[in-house]
Amino acid sequence: MDAKYLNPIIAATDSVFQTMLSLEPKKKEVSIQEDLVTDKEANVIIGMTGDIKGSIVYSFSSEMALKVVEAMSGMEMQKLDKFVTSAMGELGNIISGKATTGLTAQGLSCDIAPPQIVTGKNINISSEADKVLMVKFNTELGEFDVGFSIN
Amino acid sequence: MIWRDEYKIGVELVDKQHKELFSRLGDFIQTVRSDKEKAEKKEEVEKTLNFMGEYVVTHFDAEEALQKRYNYPDYEKHHQIHEDFKAEVADFQHQYSKNDYDEDFLLEFSGRLLTWLINHVASTDQDIGEHINSAKENEEESK
Repeated sequence: MDAKYLNPIIAATDSVFQTMLSLEPKKKEVSIQEDLVTDKEANVIIGMTGDIKGSIVYSFSSEMALKVVEAMSGMEMQKLDKFVTSAMGELGNIISGKATTGLTAQGLSCDIAPPQIVTGKNINISSEADKVLMVKFNTELGEFDVGFSIN
Repeated sequence: MIWRDEYKIGVELVDKQHKELFSRLGDFIQTVRSDKEKAEKKEEVEKTLNFMGEYVVTHFDAEEALQKRYNYPDYEKHHQIHEDFKAEVADFQHQYSKNDYDEDFLLEFSGRLLTWLINHVASTDQDIGEHINSAKENEEESK
């Protein structure tokens, strides 16, 4: 899989965290995995269709998801309820929307599907892809992963 | 709601209205997240959502009038985003009563609304500010 497809996703992640939350995500290691396995509890899956068929998965620890929603709402969040997961789902939707704009600049036309939320521990998100590119980010509110797979 | 000065677009009227909108959205979300009895809560949810919804219309109208006044090139696109948003709120109000004021349905809607509105103000609306302020500068120069 060509890593250049990953750059618009990384750029969109940076930009959205900065404008919405005044946070600068620090990109850590990029790895290639066979499957999308995550130890993080709040997962947002965005399906992609068009010139690139696949999915982007944003995985946040429960703690980070709560902190992000607290930072937006100014209210205390205690658990991963539908309010928190839906707010995070929309965040994934916004980042992915921006990423498709970046992909358009590379001549690729893509559409995204509404976010799907999967919560729980040690999740294996099955996909048709045989490789998943995984980027780890660190922020002041915690760590999160962005996985990208092309079918 | 947390207001950040970075959300400002540099047009005083719009920034003032965005702050008010955040405040009304905050009231709505407080209500949504309160532990009240269903009967009492649904009334307050409807009340605070209407209160916010009224201001959404006031603000969208004012912002669109400014866009027209300064020939904002993305006016049509932005207008459509506003129309879609208003339709989504109206659709929620309709479905919420039809779903017997389902709590999860309410939480899902309001969580999405929170993120959507922040992004709309912090990102989508920024281009309007840039356009209006450069148009104003040009007007000043040609005087």
